[in-house]
Amino acid sequence: MKVTLFVTCLVDLFHTNVGKATVELLERLGCEIEFPEAQTCCGQPAYNSGYVKEAKEAMKHMIRTFEHAEYIVTPSGSCATMFKEYPHIFKGDPEWEPRAKALADKTYELTQFIVDVLKIENVGAKLKGRATYHTSCHMTRLLGVKDAPMKLLKNVDGLEFVPLPNSHNCCGFGGTFSVKMGPISEQMVDEKIHHIEEVNADYLIGADCGCLMNIGGRIERQGKPIKVMHIAEVLNSR
Amino acid sequence: MPMKIGTGEFKERVDKGIHNSFMRGAVAGAQERLRTRRLEAAEELGNWEEWRALGEEIRKHTLENLDYYLWQLSENVAKRGGHVFFAQTAEEANEYIRDVVVKKNAKKIVKSKSMVTEEINLNPVLEAAGCEVIETDLGEYILQIDDHDPPSHIVAPALHKNKEQIRDVFKAKLNYKKTENPEELALHARHTLRQAYLTADVGITGCNFAIAESGSITLVTNEGNADLVTALPKTQITVMGMERIVPTFEEMEVLVSLLTRSAVGQKLTSYITVLTGPRDQGDVDGPEEFHLVIVDNGRSNILGTEFQSVLQCIRCAACVNVCPVYRHIGGHSYGSIYSGPIGAVLSPLLGGYDDYKELPYASTLCAACTEACPVKIPLHELLHKHRQVIVEREGKAPISEKLAMKAFGLGAASSALYKLGSKLAPSAMNPFTVNNRISNGPGPLKAWTEIREFPAPGKERFRDWFHNRQKGDHQS
Amino acid sequence: MTTGTIHHRDKFLQTIAKKLGRNQRTTGVTRPHWKHQPQWSVFKGFSQDDLIEAFKSQCSRIHTDVVETTADQLAAALKQVVAGYGGGPVVTWDDPRFVEYGLSPLLQEEWPSEKIDVHVWNAAIGQKNIEFAEKANVGITFSDITLAESGTVVLFSSSGKGRTVSFLPQTYVAIVPKSTFVPRMTQAAVFIHERIEKGEPIPSCINFITGPSNSADIEMNLVVGVHGPIKATYIIVKDR
Repeated sequence: MKVTLFVTCLVDLFHTNVGKATVELLERLGCEIEFPEAQTCCGQPAYNSGYVKEAKEAMKHMIRTFEHAEYIVTPSGSCATMFKEYPHIFKGDPEWEPRAKALADKTYELTQFIVDVLKIENVGAKLKGRATYHTSCHMTRLLGVKDAPMKLLKNVDGLEFVPLPNSHNCCGFGGTFSVKMGPISEQMVDEKIHHIEEVNADYLIGADCGCLMNIGGRIERQGKPIKVMHIAEVLNSR
Repeated sequence: MPMKIGTGEFKERVDKGIHNSFMRGAVAGAQERLRTRRLEAAEELGNWEEWRALGEEIRKHTLENLDYYLWQLSENVAKRGGHVFFAQTAEEANEYIRDVVVKKNAKKIVKSKSMVTEEINLNPVLEAAGCEVIETDLGEYILQIDDHDPPSHIVAPALHKNKEQIRDVFKAKLNYKKTENPEELALHARHTLRQAYLTADVGITGCNFAIAESGSITLVTNEGNADLVTALPKTQITVMGMERIVPTFEEMEVLVSLLTRSAVGQKLTSYITVLTGPRDQGDVDGPEEFHLVIVDNGRSNILGTEFQSVLQCIRCAACVNVCPVYRHIGGHSYGSIYSGPIGAVLSPLLGGYDDYKELPYASTLCAACTEACPVKIPLHELLHKHRQVIVEREGKAPISEKLAMKAFGLGAASSALYKLGSKLAPSAMNPFTVNNRISNGPGPLKAWTEIREFPAPGKERFRDWFHNRQKGDHQS
Repeated sequence: MTTGTIHHRDKFLQTIAKKLGRNQRTTGVTRPHWKHQPQWSVFKGFSQDDLIEAFKSQCSRIHTDVVETTADQLAAALKQVVAGYGGGPVVTWDDPRFVEYGLSPLLQEEWPSEKIDVHVWNAAIGQKNIEFAEKANVGITFSDITLAESGTVVLFSSSGKGRTVSFLPQTYVAIVPKSTFVPRMTQAAVFIHERIEKGEPIPSCINFITGPSNSADIEMNLVVGVHGPIKATYIIVKDR
């Protein structure tokens, strides 16, 4: 199966290991990976800040870059959600609305793709330790992907899974919110870390690099012994 | 009090909220409890999404035909002998109510909980006319006797106060001699307020839902205070935001079912009271005279705009009870009697961006509010629309941000620029990088690194790795 | 009845119409057939007995006692409940059902002979009724419609059926005939709506009462009995 990878800007620049793990994992599951080099960013930073005009330029570029694909897969619930929002954003635009819709229809978040399209729930991964999972807001509420990561994590050999208390609460990332509303964001992420510690997890796993950068960056600042991993890295552990 | 509450800049208010550990504990506890109860109530129905869809459809239809239903309502109120006053502004509403009160020569007024009378700042007007005004909702009463402390939650107004504080206020203001036990406090309030109901000249209420087909108003409480406010004084004045209306009893029933479940997880609250006109001939209790004041006060400016759906709100506070931002900063930080997500959407619309420009940004757009709303207001989308308006129409965004976003637009829309920029990033960040981490970043990174580490951009981007790997594949 | 007045309506409604981008509407709007109507699926197909069971289980969640009895045992049951609440004074509606259900001897002879004051609402004496109600220990009414889902009694006011009988006394007792049970508020709303459609007047006050008065305004602690009754009992009459 041919998969076109939308790796996201955060992974491209800062979390390359997540991208590598995604490629290796999907290849192992029988996919052929294509990476369009023209890809940039889904436009979310500008869009969420209210700069819709600027964001639309980025979006059009992404539509052009990805519209040839059969399946678009991305290791980010939030960026997948953004692609899914495109038709709504271009609503009423005779040229771009249909193109946006076609793009949205073939976009999948990584775990959603593995479970719903590849129909695989056990990827043969192994990781020893106690782990909890952060349900990122856009992925669960807007994209509606709730079960796929759980199904996959349940089948990771050696991994003891513990639910995260108050998992429904946002970690405090929110893109520019994390810097515009720093003091509030700090309280939110501290509460999140408090709950992670409460369940004595060795690993915090997530499916969005934005949230993980926030939680992980704070954990690191505080020097806490919790390892933060993207789900692609977990599923690629052997 | 008016809609705008508190003093100081948004940042100062937030700082105060964050450092109020009692309030934060109370809010977190209340959120857990109310959220759980709401989810259980929805679960018990089993088809909650259908209920939400119905609630949304009713609210949308009503707003689309608001002039018709208000016309029908006013006709039916008048037919039953009630008086209707349409008030375009807060001043018009206050003036009319004051005139009624003065004409009745009223000295004592009892009130049941009403956000709209807070919004129009009614109480000081009545007090200036020489009346004693007594709030009878227990939470509102506590705030009132504590020198008009503002409400911090639209359903549980005194959520930010602990029982020791309440005991001290009762001691100072009511000659209370007992302990901080809530039952003792409530009993004391019961005795004091009972006398107020029995001796008041005028009762003032808000309105959860007016019913157009019959000219009725619906009041929803657990305490029963609205019933005594409307049963005992000779004159009743009900104040409603113009959007708080439904076509018939059948829709009222659906929205009440959504309201009580969403607000407190109850199937119905203890008292749902539907009042039509003044008392019937031969009745002993109930008012002799009934006035309905329908308030616009900026609401019509929301109609026909991209924000119209905010008027679907039934004031259940489900969005407040799930908001992770409200959770940490509390209601007073919003600087408005309307707090939480609904407050962050509504306050700038009713009060303007000058006072409330920060509120749309006090959200991670996590959509917990949208998910919780029983009438499907897309709250997080409306917060986003505010941001768009602030940037595009109001021009209130900071210049540095504008430039950055302009650059983003150019960079992300051009693969060449993006590639170049991302290639240069590691060397640009080099001076700030220690062990692949940035702990004290420049520019916009500063705010990030005040709280957290930032990963240094890798020397090899993912695209470089992929490119090299493909090349390797081809060579082998 | 004198018709009331309406002030400042035209400009107000015209503004709304203008903002909605059309001319003002005073006729020609019909309610749509709502696409979803989940309210009808609650307790669908339940018998009266099923509804009573659901009602009883709900009452355990709303701090309300339930007593089941039959018409011929009602007086005894009511007497026991009132005794349990510490006796009189008692205030009741002036409602023909008190006679129909054989409660006259209790109200007129038994209780007075036991020095329990009984006041039956009497519109002719006006304000005095409220003074009685305010001093009463127990207020007693019938339920006009009873909602199984929420444990609610619906009371229609009239000159004999004072509003404050259910609010002012320390405790409240509702007599609930089996025949008054419906699944939920939906059926009560339809009943009232149909009366309006037929042009019949509706009572000036319709109360949906669900257990005693309560508040959670102090630290979210539930306090039962704030402004209204502190305790409540429903007496179900199973054969009427």
